[in-house]
Amino acid sequence: MITLWRIFVTSWKHLARNLWIALATIFVFMMALLSVNVLLGVNAMLEKVVTLLEEKVDMTVAFKPTAPDAILQQARFYLTSLPQIKSVSVISPEQVLADFKLRHAQDPKILSALRDLPANPLGAQLIIHARQPDDYAFLAQAIQSPQYAAFIQSQTYNDHQSAIARVHDVSRQVRIVGSVLVAVFALFGLLIAFNAIRVAIYTQREEISIMRLVGASAAFIRGPFVLEGLWLAMLSLISSGAIIYSTVLWLEPILTPLFGGSDAGLQFFFVHQWSRIVLMEGVGLIGLVMIMSWLAVGKYIKR
Amino acid sequence: MIHLEHVSKIYPPHSVGLQDISLKIDAGELVSIVGQSGAGKTTLVRMLIAEEPPTQGRISIGGWDITRIRSSEIPELRRQIGVIFQDYKLLPKKTVYENVSFALEVAGTPSKRVKEIVPQVLQIVGLEDKTKRFPTQLSGGEQQRVVIARSLVHRPKVLVADEPTGNLDTLNTHDIINLLLKINDFGTTVILVTHNREVVNALHRRVITLKDGLIHSDHAQGKYIL
Repeated sequence: MITLWRIFVTSWKHLARNLWIALATIFVFMMALLSVNVLLGVNAMLEKVVTLLEEKVDMTVAFKPTAPDAILQQARFYLTSLPQIKSVSVISPEQVLADFKLRHAQDPKILSALRDLPANPLGAQLIIHARQPDDYAFLAQAIQSPQYAAFIQSQTYNDHQSAIARVHDVSRQVRIVGSVLVAVFALFGLLIAFNAIRVAIYTQREEISIMRLVGASAAFIRGPFVLEGLWLAMLSLISSGAIIYSTVLWLEPILTPLFGGSDAGLQFFFVHQWSRIVLMEGVGLIGLVMIMSWLAVGKYIKR
Repeated sequence: MIHLEHVSKIYPPHSVGLQDISLKIDAGELVSIVGQSGAGKTTLVRMLIAEEPPTQGRISIGGWDITRIRSSEIPELRRQIGVIFQDYKLLPKKTVYENVSFALEVAGTPSKRVKEIVPQVLQIVGLEDKTKRFPTQLSGGEQQRVVIARSLVHRPKVLVADEPTGNLDTLNTHDIINLLLKINDFGTTVILVTHNREVVNALHRRVITLKDGLIHSDHAQGKYIL
């Protein structure tokens, strides 16, 4: 017990008396952590962009003016029951006409032709939002079942097919590239941390050999270094966390206009994922630092 | 007390450190080991504190065969042998007090006992008023006295001094040798490795002369003859 207490006290004394090395090591750890978190943030924003794009994509099914309301409601009910559907909304023929007139307000010929017609030539519409962009192809086929096909005037899926496919491709690539970059940055971060701890212990190799010469056991020598590594890792985690949180709070309102009034997704990501991020980065950094300290000290305890 | 039987140390590929050395040092002796650079003095010290194993032969200290000592047993051996180095080997980030107490702490000595022993040994070496200084704030002679204090905390039966006066002026050399004599008077076996002719000749004690890794001479009241 007394030995454990001495190892604990020595680790703090050691940190305080090697303050510059400690600060340099914390700085390097923080750089590694910040680079990973910056990338996580960028990834979160890209995800948000993709989500916003996906939300903008929809499919419009225009029914013939003669289509009975029952068919319309039946089609809506059927689509809503499908797992691929996020939402289905019905636009009445009157609203469709009003929207049409609004769109062509600058075209007097069209407006005049509309006035000449005895009745509303436009039918009701279903606006469909799918959960995934690649669900639209399936939904376009689903709505073409014989039960409804006879009443359908047109659907916009074919018009939007290439746009939907492009959004789908972009979102898939963003996710893959983002994951790979985060993994690569995490690996670089670990390598940087690995090297920082090696350098910190290298500078104290003489002390380690002296400790051994005066009868210190390997565990007694290693203990304070391993604990010191733990304190440094924890201090850098706390400091990085504070920097990231304050940066996100400052940055989010600045980015909001760029996202068309929607939030940039940064604060949402870091607030909802902080425990996972801290757990993964904390376990990775602390584990690496403690193992590396143990091994690096061992290099200078030969006999 | 210390027994070397046909000890040789060969550094790869063929460099001879020591060659077929056999000697006995009795408890309470003060023995000077002399020789020119490369004679094998430091190699002998390194083997006595298990920094290196011999290539051949057997070494025992107080009946403990340390020839093939296990790594886990080395700390225990070093707590029983006091060692003084020419370059002091003090921990630069620890104070005088902490450097001395460290040797006790590694052995798990209770704090109360540490607080009793450390001031005692620092008083023996005359550094009781410099306990809070760091090694860089001390003179060479003072640093060497801290090393001696550190080596005494376990009341070792053997004290190995490897060129303890190598970096000191005449006055400090005299002080350190007097301290070693005092320690020897308390019954500790002292092995003094040196190439200081005046020191060896003034002691009138046993002198073992090494030359090219071999024992050149071993006289009970010897002189520096090289």
